[in-house]
Amino acid sequence: MKKLVTLEINGKLQELAVEPSESLLQILRKQWNLIGTKRGCDSGGCGCCTVHLDGKAVYSCMVFASSLDKHKVTTIEGLSSGNELDPLQTAFIEEDAVQCGYCTCGMIMTAKEFLAKEDRPDEEQIRHAIAGNLCRCTGYQKIVKAIKVAANR
Amino acid sequence: MSLTSVKEYFTPGGKQEVLELLEKYGDSALIVAGGSFVHGLDARDLLFGIEALIDIRNLALNEVSSDSAGLSLGATVTFSELQQLNEIQSSAAFGALRDALKCPPVQIRNVATIGGNIAAACPYFDLPTAVMSLGGVVQAQGPAGSREIGLQEFFAGLFQNTLETNEFVSGIFIPALPARSSSAFIKLETNANDLAIVNVAVQLTLDESGSCQEARLVVGGGVAETPVRAIASENLLRGRKMTDELFKQAGAAVQSDLEPISDHRASAAYRSATAKVLTERALRRAVARLDQAQASI
Ligand SMILES: Cc1cc2nc3c(=O)[nH]c(=O)nc-3n(C[C@H](O)[C@H](O)[C@H](O)COP(=O)(O)OP(=O)(O)OC[C@H]3O[C@@H](n4cnc5c(N)ncnc54)[C@H](O)[C@@H]3O)c2cc1C
Ligand code: FES
Ligand code: FES
Repeated sequence: MKKLVTLEINGKLQELAVEPSESLLQILRKQWNLIGTKRGCDSGGCGCCTVHLDGKAVYSCMVFASSLDKHKVTTIEGLSSGNELDPLQTAFIEEDAVQCGYCTCGMIMTAKEFLAKEDRPDEEQIRHAIAGNLCRCTGYQKIVKAIKVAANR
Repeated sequence: MSLTSVKEYFTPGGKQEVLELLEKYGDSALIVAGGSFVHGLDARDLLFGIEALIDIRNLALNEVSSDSAGLSLGATVTFSELQQLNEIQSSAAFGALRDALKCPPVQIRNVATIGGNIAAACPYFDLPTAVMSLGGVVQAQGPAGSREIGLQEFFAGLFQNTLETNEFVSGIFIPALPARSSSAFIKLETNANDLAIVNVAVQLTLDESGSCQEARLVVGGGVAETPVRAIASENLLRGRKMTDELFKQAGAAVQSDLEPISDHRASAAYRSATAKVLTERALRRAVARLDQAQASI
């Protein structure tokens, strides 16, 4: 049976009916067309579906949409305000930390939570922080650099 | 998530309601806490016939309390929340728990609960090994009230625990350890996002002269269907002074207590060799932790 949940997505209160086993990832992409959040493995192994749930980085493919009543979700689309990008987004562009881009939104969401807790991280801390996000293209060097650059801004 | 047979997702607000749902749905109910292992179960075809998901995160089981008897952890406290606790951040005695909590990526630590990690009875998880080395106890809630189950008794086999179908885990209790206690945990995995090939946790209590009064050594991560106590090594350690030579002997003795499994992650022989080395390292880490704690008194 469908369940009615009310949740905040990128600052807007939304009400929706969800199937019992539907994931947050599914509703983000299908119902709201928030396609910045990517579907990779759909089983908690790649990180490209990372969003914030009540301010914390989670794999949206593993979150049951039915559990979200009264919770708050932020996706990559909620990071920028209007045309003004988040410093992390700017740093990723400037440092060329994006190749195919499939991992990028998840990577930035993970880094965003991390930098909120750790304002001057060293390289090892950054690498540990993004351990749950895979990138098949960049070799990570530029991603780590971009996160460092954003931290210093 | 596929879970095609699921018809209902419940979010009960009290224990009684959970018990009633368990009674009603029996074997076709699945408790959900962080939900991070539901995929894992599905991929192993273990969710056949599940109709009702019962999410227990609105039960206020996310509380922690600490007193002279020990640490009471509500079933739905997450790994990230545990990492914030003073006791876990600083005490040498809970070192094994601190080490094990660091293993999963942040996206998992933010949702995975201690109750779910233990209840899953997955031999490749890390907390079961660490919590068993600390003498942790499961608090199970059923219609007749609550009962305590030691971890060794709780794990019944691969993905099997000894809960009745009308019971669920309400919390985990970790008894306080005597002075001069220390613990450590080490895991070997293939990459940062992988489950364990072998993991080892050790808990030591030394007397004033530095001899080992009590030792508990647990090996997990696929060395058997459940984490196992390495009794021969524990016996070897008790009454002895902590030397590198002794650590080597204890490592070798661990191998006699194990019958590791062979799978796509590693062969039995590799697991056995690794268990030996990790045991030596875990012992060294636990002793170093104690020295450090004493130096800072
Ligand atoms: C990418 C990834 C990496 C991981 N890395 C690690 C790692 O390095 N180390 C490690 O130890 N683990 C690791 N894990 C496993 C993770 O720790 C577990 O999935 C998690 O702890 C399970 O807790 P949960 O609250 O999410 O449980 P759920 O997924 O909600 O439930 C798991 C099982 O336990 C049952 N259950 C849950 N709570 C209760 C309860 N209170 N009473 C009765 N039954 C209950 C459920 O019915 C289900 O069978 C990883 C998982 C993933 C996906
Ligand atoms: S799609 Fe969620 S972790 Fe890969
Ligand atoms: S840029 Fe292609 S996966 Fe990271």
